[in-house]
Amino acid sequence: MFASVRSATLLGVRGSRVDVEVHAGIGLPGFTVVGQPDEVCRESRDRVRAALLSSDLPWPTRRITVNLAPSGDRKSGACLDLAIAVGLLAAQGLLPVEILSQYAFIAELGLDGSLRPVRGATPLVLATIDRQTVVALENLGEASAATITQVFSAKTLFEVVECLSGRTEWRKEVSKKTSTYHSKFLRDLADVQGQPVARQALEISAAGSHHLLLVGPPGAGKTMLAERLVGLLPSLNDEQAISATMIHSSVQTEFLNSGLIRDAPYRAPHHSSSMVAMVGGGTALMRPGEISLASHGVLFLDELGEFAPSVLDALRQPLEQRVVHLARARTSVVMPAEFLLVAATNPCPCGEGTPGACTCDDAARARYLRRFSGPLLDRFDLRVAVSRPNTTDLISPIAGESTSVVAARVAKARSLAFSRFGGTNSMLTRQQLDSAAPLTRKAEELLRKELEAGHLTGRGYHRVRRVARTIADLNGAPQTIDETHLHLALLLRVDFASGLRTREMSF
Amino acid sequence: MQSQNSAAKKCLSKDQIAAAALCALPKIGPKRLMTLLKHHDPQTAWAVVQGRAKPNEVVSAMLRVEGLITLLRHRATQDLQDQIEQRCIRSGINITIFGDENYPRVLIADLAPPAVLFYFGDLSALDSRRVGMIGTRSATASGRYLASHIAHDLATNDVCVVSGLARGIDAWAHRGALRALESQEAGRLADRPASQEAGRPVGVVASGLDVVYPRENAQLWQDIAKQGALISESAPGSPPEAFRFPLRNRILAALSEVLVVVESRDTGGSMITVDEAQKRDVTVLAVPGSPRNVASNGTNQLIQQGCLPIIGAQDVLVALGLDNRRAPENFYDPRFRLSASDQQLISEMAGAPFTLDEFVIRSGLTTIDAAVSLGRLEALGWIVENSGWWEVIEVRQPLH
Repeated sequence: MFASVRSATLLGVRGSRVDVEVHAGIGLPGFTVVGQPDEVCRESRDRVRAALLSSDLPWPTRRITVNLAPSGDRKSGACLDLAIAVGLLAAQGLLPVEILSQYAFIAELGLDGSLRPVRGATPLVLATIDRQTVVALENLGEASAATITQVFSAKTLFEVVECLSGRTEWRKEVSKKTSTYHSKFLRDLADVQGQPVARQALEISAAGSHHLLLVGPPGAGKTMLAERLVGLLPSLNDEQAISATMIHSSVQTEFLNSGLIRDAPYRAPHHSSSMVAMVGGGTALMRPGEISLASHGVLFLDELGEFAPSVLDALRQPLEQRVVHLARARTSVVMPAEFLLVAATNPCPCGEGTPGACTCDDAARARYLRRFSGPLLDRFDLRVAVSRPNTTDLISPIAGESTSVVAARVAKARSLAFSRFGGTNSMLTRQQLDSAAPLTRKAEELLRKELEAGHLTGRGYHRVRRVARTIADLNGAPQTIDETHLHLALLLRVDFASGLRTREMSF
Repeated sequence: MQSQNSAAKKCLSKDQIAAAALCALPKIGPKRLMTLLKHHDPQTAWAVVQGRAKPNEVVSAMLRVEGLITLLRHRATQDLQDQIEQRCIRSGINITIFGDENYPRVLIADLAPPAVLFYFGDLSALDSRRVGMIGTRSATASGRYLASHIAHDLATNDVCVVSGLARGIDAWAHRGALRALESQEAGRLADRPASQEAGRPVGVVASGLDVVYPRENAQLWQDIAKQGALISESAPGSPPEAFRFPLRNRILAALSEVLVVVESRDTGGSMITVDEAQKRDVTVLAVPGSPRNVASNGTNQLIQQGCLPIIGAQDVLVALGLDNRRAPENFYDPRFRLSASDQQLISEMAGAPFTLDEFVIRSGLTTIDAAVSLGRLEALGWIVENSGWWEVIEVRQPLH
């Protein structure tokens, strides 16, 4: 007897369709799984057997072959359990074979016959979009939010059998368990005292998706500022939400029962993170890394200099291309990596940035600054020196604006940018810059002077213009950019490694 | 310079080579070296450490330290001597021994004179009046400007600027002194000879003369060796080890008639030089700074303890007894006059380095207006930026 049941497995952040073919034939009783299952997959034999027996369903005493088609691809994870169990029952004639062609099954089985939730429910249901999909109860909320097709659920294997035979109704209602907190409103920008420039830099960064580097002594509030940036970003649109949910779902162990992710994600990996943790890969599943998890949100790297140089260099290609291509001998995957990079660092090992106050010895200082040199620093559109607020906030009588006020301005500027070329200002190409960010005569002159003086490189020239575009947008100047906007854009590009070089001073 | 070097190549005597090799031995500091050379001529001294000659009583008492003789015999090889000779000849390093005719006369009566000196250039640079200029390696922009301006003005008045060629204040003092020589040369070419010869700079360094440290000052080493003199007590090839710097500072203090501290933190290495100077009754002058400026903590403390504060080269000249107050004022400020509002901003922010954040808060401007003001002031030359910090530049510009 033969049955074929549809299911899916996870690769990277995408699901891929798997047909579980079960053949129960004559021969010595036995059970083989073929089609490149991994260890977890192969163990499903024992789980399925126990689940069937606990549900008072028969385990066939025949020679059973389970093939996971397409057999060339490696399968991983326990999400095929339910499909194998249903296939076994159908192969024994306990379920009508024809009805199975309308369904797909994605769930792990417990030894007691219960359905267990799996990682990556969103990408998995999206892979079986042409069928009605059966998932565990805990995955129902996420799965039904992600797909337009019907998603059913049941509590146990026995219930699945009953439903398939038409004796009971499927469970369709999502248990309403709203998420306990919104990361977005937990941290308000109003908590930041003083630091007007740093606040402005956050606003510009959020409005134009410009990568931001905060340089300052310990205790200057760099981390505090970075945590508040994510609140300034707008909620994700449908497309972004599905993409973000797919990524998070494929690594999450707790389940996103509240539906799609709508808040911009915030990831702050520790500086000991490995290359694989950062860009993804690792297991046969090709787990997404921090850069993918931060997609459509903020990736915050605190103590940038402490990260391994290889890890930082690995960020360069995703920063340019907004996706990460991972290739291994067996597989290659493409995962989204469209993140806003925010980094914080001390100006030198001793942390005292003030000229004349630094107590580092020269070699240590040079070694420290060398870590940032070149291409990576160049990719930060905004480089801002942050000073300790203790003196300044005493002087400042101004209470900070709250996140909601600034976020409204950011949203306005972003929609202005989107109306131009359908992207944020940091995505403007060099060709688009001329029409999107025309300069006044004075502004042009200023830029020429900066270029001639050697303060700006070719790449820096374009980056400054993009930032100036965002500054102009925020200040209600949607047309041309004048020199005031440029001045600020130039000031927010501190060349903080320049302390190393002896600057030529004119008499 | 080149011809001097080739002359030096020919006349490195056996005494000089032996003395140089002695310097390169481990455990032979300035004191032991002095004792050795006081009681033996260099070649005999070399034979003594090799164990080939009988040491004098004093010397044998000195060598009677656990393991010292074994160590010296082990290290004092012909190889070492050849190596040092090679290095001297290759780089054109000259040697003078205590008691030689060209040994700097200021050092003869010193508390702890170096027994052997290695040098580039011409030691007669030390014959004019000498002012030591020292300060922190991580100086503020104001400090660097001030150092180079004071040094420039001193050199113009035929004062020899002595410094340590470290990063920061030291290097900028020397740049200022070299600038004075340059403009004197330019004046001579234009048939406009200066009333006075310009003083030549002297650098005292801690490492061997063929070991440039810090690397970034390589050009400066060459220029000083060419225009003035570059002196070291360490044998060629000696790395810039930490213990050599306080020893270098002692020579620097000994060579100075007046010591000027431009900027120093209260724990800086400059304070060692100040101590050495005070031991030798050398007048110490300090440039005052804002109490908010960490780099001026040391100098302000010196002033508190009674050092004379100075605000320009004029005060140093007075301390040297070279009063030229009646000479015509040769300074002007080529920068554009500031508007009243800009002038107010400048006086508000002067004193210590500030960030853009502080500027916005203290000036009360919006971020964009603040950026425009800073851009304008920088273009006019009133402020400079470095690594995100801004400083007001308040020095007068010398006339060229």
